[in-house]
Amino acid sequence: MDTTFREVSADPRTASVPLSHLSLEIGHLYMDDFMAGPERLREQFAQVKPWVDAARAACPVPAGRRPRISTCFLIDDYFTRFSTPAEVVPQIVAEAEACGLTVDYLARESACAEADGRRPARLVEARLVESPPPGTNGSRPPATATGWLSNGERTPADDLDEAMGAAGGGWRPPRETEAGRHSVFLDVELWDTRHGGRTWSCPYLAAVWQLLRLGLLRDRGQEVFPPAPRPDTLPDSWDALPPLVRLNPAADPFAAYRTFSVLARRFLPIEHAVTVLLEQWAPEEPVLHALAERARQEGVPLPDALTGRIGYLFHGQP
Amino acid sequence: MRPDRPGEGPALLLGEVRTGLLQHSVELPGAATEKMLGLRHGERVRSSQRPNVRAQSPDLLTGVDCPLATTSHRAVRGVGTVLSHAVLTEGRVLQASALARIAAGGDRRRPWGHYLAHPGTVEVIGRGEAAELAAGHLAAAEPGTGLDLGGLTERLLTEVQREAGLDRRAPFRSRRTRLRWTAVRADLAGEEPGGRLTVEDDTLRTLRLTLESVDPVEVAAFCEDLALHDWLLSTLGRLIERSGLGSDPGPGPVQRLRPAVNHLMHLWMPGARVARPLAPLWEGLETRPGFTRQWTASVQRVRDHLALQAVGLTAPTVRGD
Repeated sequence: MDTTFREVSADPRTASVPLSHLSLEIGHLYMDDFMAGPERLREQFAQVKPWVDAARAACPVPAGRRPRISTCFLIDDYFTRFSTPAEVVPQIVAEAEACGLTVDYLARESACAEADGRRPARLVEARLVESPPPGTNGSRPPATATGWLSNGERTPADDLDEAMGAAGGGWRPPRETEAGRHSVFLDVELWDTRHGGRTWSCPYLAAVWQLLRLGLLRDRGQEVFPPAPRPDTLPDSWDALPPLVRLNPAADPFAAYRTFSVLARRFLPIEHAVTVLLEQWAPEEPVLHALAERARQEGVPLPDALTGRIGYLFHGQP
Repeated sequence: MRPDRPGEGPALLLGEVRTGLLQHSVELPGAATEKMLGLRHGERVRSSQRPNVRAQSPDLLTGVDCPLATTSHRAVRGVGTVLSHAVLTEGRVLQASALARIAAGGDRRRPWGHYLAHPGTVEVIGRGEAAELAAGHLAAAEPGTGLDLGGLTERLLTEVQREAGLDRRAPFRSRRTRLRWTAVRADLAGEEPGGRLTVEDDTLRTLRLTLESVDPVEVAAFCEDLALHDWLLSTLGRLIERSGLGSDPGPGPVQRLRPAVNHLMHLWMPGARVARPLAPLWEGLETRPGFTRQWTASVQRVRDHLALQAVGLTAPTVRGD
């Protein structure tokens, strides 16, 4: 006779989240944009619209299937606080509609750091696995403790003195680990601690935002921010607004196999940093496998590498 | 190296386990264990109560890109990630365990995202046979440029204890032991399944496993279990030796053996969490050299001594001589 015994606390469990095919970011609101008035918002949406249509048309879905696509909009309430949800949210919805766009989900950037007792930024930090330059054998401690993450080997600091002595002869250039012939070396500041607590950098929060949209983050196995329905009355403080609000009750799921962001060109360096960061981020294996399995069952192509799931369009206007 | 074909399972695992006494005066309670082993924000510490209390940290990943040792001294480069975690048994014995599944790679390093999509896998760039890499890992001298699982586990043990706010007053002195291990799939090694455990010196043991199928989680759990019991046996042996039992007729040995009774003697539970396909390996070790036989004999010796002391028999007899 065969008996089995199991203790629940000994097994890892992971919740799955509803998934769209594509998460389409149609805008990002900073204080400056808001101060410039509703015309600026309308201008931005009008600029974005054709690219959003193109992204919808390009969404890879098996023939005969309806693509599930959700749109999202991010509000920067982390680095600067401005206005109130009661004033801003209806404005965004109205201006988008005027341009033929629907905002399905609205998120607060500060929630990427911390909200509702969840700390997505810490979840992401816990899974950073630095890409090892050749010669890394496991005996050195990781360097993320410094708050900087690069895509290669930095110029060694001890060489600076030598360089002075040897009239520059001792200097060694930095090197991108995955460079082809030449390097594009990037060193990304993840956070600083200038104001006592830790302040996460803009690229870092943008990386958290991508991971939330890709449905890859879990907090103790649970979905981090299940979308909240739109409150009957929008609050007067950003903190009182749920981290992620579903503005369109008929929207497809927030998280998706792939993301696409239509952004102004000034976001290019930030998104390069996001790429460097996400290339060194290890997803939870069960989450990764579940996604791959669901994509396979649906017949949707899904790249192994996370950065392959992220698409952009950078347009030339502010 | 022959590639892992889909459905075939890994060809080769390399691992190391370090085992030591938690540097704390009392058994670590549950809440403190959670804190100590909560090495990754947002991930659970896995714990179980049956048949003994065991808690395991979430897995950590460390990126490596370095030569892998081979017996032929041919340069083989390995790129990927090593899995590691810490385990605390009965709030007393702390282990750090590292593991890499070795798989065939291409002829050059791929984008890092590829390796992160296969956590715990180190891909071989160039040629390297499974058996040759296994032998190289076991024979590796002290850390040089090659894959350093020993350094990784040593650092993990130290870090876990440092962050946890322990009082660093262990109830007795003990040494950390190291178990360096490999598991090769039998069809690749051209051998019958089996294991070979070698006591290399006071603190280093090597284990070479040849298995029909190589499940990384199951094999690592077996090696952690073996390392734990080997450490218990070595530690109890050393305590008995240091106690003067057999030479000191007075109450000294009783005093010195107290930590063994208080902290070690209830921990013996070999094979409790070993997966069924690996159970025969324990049975083999129980036949020869007979781990439990030696443990039972040592424990019995301590108990007999305590009993004799209790009824006041030992001292007068010796003095009467």
